[in-house]
Amino acid sequence: MKCEWVQQNIMLHVYDELADDARYELDQHAARCEACAAELAAAREFRQTMATVAVADPTPNLLASSRMRLQEALETTQQGGFWTRLTFDPGLWLRQVRFSPALAAVLLLVGFGGGTAVTFRAVKGSPIDGPVATVGASEEANITGIRSITPEPGTNRVNILYDTVNTKETSGSLNDTRIQQLLLFAAQNNTNSGVRVDSVDLLKQRMNDSRVREALVYALRYDNNPGVRLKALEGLGSYVKDDVRVRDAVLETLTSDTNPGLRTEALRVLAPVRADASVRATLERLAAKDGNKFIRDQSRAQLAQLPELD
Amino acid sequence: MAGESLNRIDDTVLVREAQRGDRAAFEDLVRRYDQAVLRLALRLTGSEHEAQDIYQEAFLKAYRNVGSFRFECSFYTWIYRIVTNLCLDHLRRKQVRKEDAGVVVNADGEEFSIIEQAADDRPNANPERDLLRRELGSQIGRALDKLTPRERMVFELKHYHGLKLRTVGEMLNTTEETAKNTLFRATQKLRGALAGVRGDARGDGARRGQAL
Repeated sequence: MKCEWVQQNIMLHVYDELADDARYELDQHAARCEACAAELAAAREFRQTMATVAVADPTPNLLASSRMRLQEALETTQQGGFWTRLTFDPGLWLRQVRFSPALAAVLLLVGFGGGTAVTFRAVKGSPIDGPVATVGASEEANITGIRSITPEPGTNRVNILYDTVNTKETSGSLNDTRIQQLLLFAAQNNTNSGVRVDSVDLLKQRMNDSRVREALVYALRYDNNPGVRLKALEGLGSYVKDDVRVRDAVLETLTSDTNPGLRTEALRVLAPVRADASVRATLERLAAKDGNKFIRDQSRAQLAQLPELD
Repeated sequence: MAGESLNRIDDTVLVREAQRGDRAAFEDLVRRYDQAVLRLALRLTGSEHEAQDIYQEAFLKAYRNVGSFRFECSFYTWIYRIVTNLCLDHLRRKQVRKEDAGVVVNADGEEFSIIEQAADDRPNANPERDLLRRELGSQIGRALDKLTPRERMVFELKHYHGLKLRTVGEMLNTTEETAKNTLFRATQKLRGALAGVRGDARGDGARRGQAL
């Protein structure tokens, strides 16, 4: 370990932001290197000095008056839902135009050009035939649900039956963006848990896509079906070492999931993580007082496998 | 961690109810986080009026948009993201106006230093040390005001609110790595600005006379 690296990471160490192994190595280095030891002491001194200025809590009066003011405002405030977002708000548009000269210029040009063209045709006396503008609504916005997902055995193709206003069907490769969008939609929005299981199971093949990982983290945290959560956990397992959000979601499953099988699986999935303070702390707590004997024993066994740190 | 998870699960239930139009559920969410929100706004704006305005704007924004909250992050991160954005806007405007550092205007229009105002209620406090502490507080306030809005925000959230940099990154829509770099820059600037300042006012005699 070089002094330069130590100097760059010393503040992270002082603010407990280094991983256990890096912290250990930094301490070992500082024990041998006088300059780095002095730097570490100065950094700690800095943190203590800054702590001289305590963060004062807002006074009870300020908090109470803020709450009252907010309550009054909430009385007259409407929640903005899906339909509100679609509603045309001239005020908002005007504000946007005000702050976007380029957009304002484009709107002016389009308006001027369109007006001139219509005037020209009107003067010529010929009717404007056909639609002036056709706004095609995005097909995704019309999807109301996914009926079924059927993988074709031995290929990476999949057949998806989905509803828009009418039921539609599409098929294609897992590499097809359209198929991926439908699978992601199914994983998060479908009311049929069987369809969610199928979609998560297929999405597991594309774990290098961050949208897929997001969807599986969401499924692991919030899906009410243990089968879906298990499939999501299986998919996320290989990213538990590298992706902190995945690790957090798996830790949450380990500590809070209602299904003992999923908790056991989460414990197994976390086994390769060897230098994370949150994992260590969770295992220690579970080993000491979890209600499930198997989880307690397994946590103890996994703790014993972790490297010794000071 | 288990406590945090339980909190998050409770939040999820409350958010879902708020999304269905239950105002009481939203007010429950407000009460969970409003003290922290007000504290952050107060520290960063230095004004009770402005902190109240940010508090109000943040929660009204959250109320109007709770319908589109998709649980991609925790409610806590989401509300902090709204507040930090409002505070960053405020800090940027303040930098342009070059207002006095660390001076708070209370609801009655009286000015005082937010840093000097923190009373030393330790049992062994004495007037001399209290004076030194207030001087140190003023110097720290001036050093903090020299940071860019983003550096100030990262430092405040890390040092004074004890948040993990990963969370700070999420709140500021950036990566943990960028938050680390920003913290590094902020601490370098602060240490530079406070070089030579003594930690005597802390009252820990062992380190007296040691420069930062």
